[in-house]
Amino acid sequence: MEGNDFEPIIVTFCCNWCSYAGADLAGTSRLQYPPNIRIIRVMCSGMVHPNLVIDALTKGADGVLVCGCHPGDCHYIDGNLKAEKRAEAIELMLEDFGLEPERFRLEWVSASEGPRFAQVVTEMVEQVKSVGPSPYRT
Amino acid sequence: MPVKVAEEWLNICGGCEVSILDIGEPLLDLLPELEFVHMPVLMDHKYFGQTGEGTELEIPEADIGIISGGVRNEKEKHVAEEMRKKTNTLIALGSCASFGGIPAMANMWTLEELYDKVYRGSKTTESADTPSENLPPLLDRVYAVDEVVNVDVSIPGCPTNPDLIVEALTCLLEGKPFELPEKSVCDDCPVKREKKADIGQIKRPLESMEFKQGEPWENTRCFMELGYLCLGPVTRSGCARTIDGGVKVPRCVQGYMTCRGCFGPIRKGANPLVDMLGAISSIGLNPREVIDRRALLNRYIGGQKRLRPLPKRPAR
Repeated sequence: MEGNDFEPIIVTFCCNWCSYAGADLAGTSRLQYPPNIRIIRVMCSGMVHPNLVIDALTKGADGVLVCGCHPGDCHYIDGNLKAEKRAEAIELMLEDFGLEPERFRLEWVSASEGPRFAQVVTEMVEQVKSVGPSPYRT
Repeated sequence: MPVKVAEEWLNICGGCEVSILDIGEPLLDLLPELEFVHMPVLMDHKYFGQTGEGTELEIPEADIGIISGGVRNEKEKHVAEEMRKKTNTLIALGSCASFGGIPAMANMWTLEELYDKVYRGSKTTESADTPSENLPPLLDRVYAVDEVVNVDVSIPGCPTNPDLIVEALTCLLEGKPFELPEKSVCDDCPVKREKKADIGQIKRPLESMEFKQGEPWENTRCFMELGYLCLGPVTRSGCARTIDGGVKVPRCVQGYMTCRGCFGPIRKGANPLVDMLGAISSIGLNPREVIDRRALLNRYIGGQKRLRPLPKRPAR
């Protein structure tokens, strides 16, 4: 699993209203992006509690990507802003669990941004590949 | 016929035993029904026979076994296993037995790092070899009792509330199950909560609290809202005691201190560190201001793999 052969598993939380549709658009537009992500559809990025992120990272995932609507576009008005506030706390938790900050990323992807979704995923996979497998992975 | 009780202390300060004595008058009602057959803290009962004639560690059979303290070395592991074999119902008493307790903060480092720090690295210590003769070897980390043997009843607390010991023993004598409710200390806390936001900065833990003694509890502001980090929201309730006036007040709050989290996570599998940091960031506090987050939010619960040496980062 070392070096170039390492294929990370990245758990991706996509909000139902923007990012999941964006991911869908990337698929229907036949955009190419690495197959390392596992998308979990959630109603809002604001419901992704830090517990979910830390659990994913300590129980087998190499990275976590959270995608939500652009600020101001949230279906629930301010869910994505809550996610943004939490992101900082999540970075601290990563530190406390001895994980690299590169393993977590919060991105805004709207329903029309299929290419952006593909680009974010490509970047994220590169980023996680550069830090290697999660130390919690057995 | 009285119920036989065996009590054993492992990696512990002895505070939980004091808590048993602190039961006070209810103990007088309980005592006729209990017969202590083994209790190193109170009575002379040796492991290998009274004159050392035995070859195997032996603890007399008992109906109820009480273990306080976590498991740190081979001897304690052996004693815990023997206790499990000889007792029908095993109680883990106190935070050390239930979650590892204060000593389990050492789980943040490997055994080699600890030895180096204690016997060689510390400036006030003369450098020496790690002692190995006539001492049971340490285990790789501090374990909670339930990681080593099955535990039937767990009574957390540092030290635990004497009322809880009575409650648990009474339940066992009557054949009823004993379980703490799955709710937080805040659910039991009578203080006044106004609004969550507008707290500003987290105060330093030693800054003294402003309060009016004798003020009714419902007029006292929530300590968290005053800016003191209180572990109440992520800690299991059960410590609250009824005081004058019939109000139930958590024990630390009663002394105008914030909750320190000795009752452990609200439910099995919860992670107070993650929950607490998530909570304080969502009410507008800066989680970066929490000093020594990892140790502070895992102060009593470092066993059960909650605290472990940080994985080594690859050199980059």
